[in-house]
Amino acid sequence: MEDKLKYLSPEWRDEAYRRLSAELDPEKMNYATTSLVSVYHNCPDGKERYFFVSCVDGAIGDVSVGEGEPPEAEFSISGDYDVFAKMSRGELGAQAALMSGKLKLKGNMVKALKLSSLADRLNRVIATIPTQF
Amino acid sequence: MGKKTCCTENDPFFIDYPGRIKSIQEAMASEGFDVYLGSRLRTISWTTDAFCPWRSYIVIPREGLPTLFTFVIDASRVADDTWLPEDNVRGYAPLGGQDQITQISDFIKDELKIRKGRLAYETGLSNYTPEGNLSQYEYEMFTAALPGLEFVNAHIIVDRLSLIKDEGTINRFREASRYTDVGHEAVREALVNGGWKGKTETEIAGIAECAMRKAGSEWAWSFTAGNEIASGYRTGYAGGACTPATRRELQPGDSLMVDLHAMYRLGLGDYAYNYLIAPVTDRMRWHARNYIDVVQMCIDNYREGITPLGLASMVMEMAEERGFTDYVVPGFEHGIGMMGDEWRIGLNTGPIKYWTDPNHVYQAGEMLICAVQYACPEEKIGFRYECPILIHENCCELMAKFPLDVEEID
Repeated sequence: MEDKLKYLSPEWRDEAYRRLSAELDPEKMNYATTSLVSVYHNCPDGKERYFFVSCVDGAIGDVSVGEGEPPEAEFSISGDYDVFAKMSRGELGAQAALMSGKLKLKGNMVKALKLSSLADRLNRVIATIPTQF
Repeated sequence: MGKKTCCTENDPFFIDYPGRIKSIQEAMASEGFDVYLGSRLRTISWTTDAFCPWRSYIVIPREGLPTLFTFVIDASRVADDTWLPEDNVRGYAPLGGQDQITQISDFIKDELKIRKGRLAYETGLSNYTPEGNLSQYEYEMFTAALPGLEFVNAHIIVDRLSLIKDEGTINRFREASRYTDVGHEAVREALVNGGWKGKTETEIAGIAECAMRKAGSEWAWSFTAGNEIASGYRTGYAGGACTPATRRELQPGDSLMVDLHAMYRLGLGDYAYNYLIAPVTDRMRWHARNYIDVVQMCIDNYREGITPLGLASMVMEMAEERGFTDYVVPGFEHGIGMMGDEWRIGLNTGPIKYWTDPNHVYQAGEMLICAVQYACPEEKIGFRYECPILIHENCCELMAKFPLDVEEID
């Protein structure tokens, strides 16, 4: 049985970077330049955390996790840790989470629409990481 | 993209949109506003050069470019049509953080960094359904989301600046009026020599629309149902200023009112022409003569310095002398501007707020729709004249070139 990595830990981040870089080439990422930060409120230890991904001309750039103030990004999605965890376990869709207001998106919605398929690709790769929530 | 690239100063339809924004910002500065939140359709058209049928808002800071917010499903198209850069067109959506209230208030707070000060917004009263004043709910939500800002009704800023029309706007109206001329030619051709037989009002509307679209019209813009056609008793409604085409088939002895609308880049065409279908009685011709004389008197007298009340008094005096006051609606114009700017004349300075100021003194460069409604319900007959006009110092220019007449056809 594959060892599970703790969600948003440095090891989980390293695995995310490895899988994203390996599976998403610039063509699959439409040569896009953008950045997205997910902001997790009410983590199990009471802290706030973030997960940041940037993409330059379609190549995966920075992938980072951390506590406290998140870095600036073109798009920001914020919500409770539990909501993100449910999404990662496949129990809740991103669209349903946004439409119900459980997640809050900041950024240019018109651009977000154009990039939504890329975000889906990112999420699909991240969902393959054996994760312990 | 075509619109953006053709919008140079050498283009006859050029409008200096950055200059318009600058003039708003100068007014904001002199009146102590930090940000302008425009929501009226007339404001959106006047500032963006884009057709925005969905609820839209324009946020104008004291300096720099404005940002337009519209429904996300239409935002890409609007971004393509407007002169504003793509980044300055945002789409709102029913998603967390993306509804219009959250998005706009976050934009003002986080991107414009305005958390305190005075916000200009637009409210008031209108008989025109799509006016777009901020709703009570929007006002409550915005004021709750922006607690540090004082909200002040300031629509007068745009109303004042948009009163006198620039050359590009005037030329767009001329072009849209050319389309209504084309539409009327097509309708006339279809009706004469017995062509009217078996035709319905909706069919006539379609004949006109087809011709105007071929000529380049984007939309029969009127909220009163596009191309308005009335026949027979329907031309004689008291007041009678809204006649959506029906499936009524034309009959011998009918009067027929053909009121066409066209649009060229938010400039509006609006011309109404009338027919009498044989057999035509002397009494019908008497009504027609009265109507034509009223229109002619209006056209002859619209110029700088005249007022709506002054003109109405003059016309109604003639009607009184000739015994047809009962049949004339005693108002001979409505306001007009780029799409969404319709109805009232002047600057809301009249005795009844948000209605035409009867004592508004016309200035050269103003535009209006000369509108005459003549109706005799008991005789089931009526006529309508509408034509965009430009006020000059000593006369007015008729934008449409189709003749003034009540044409008899058999």
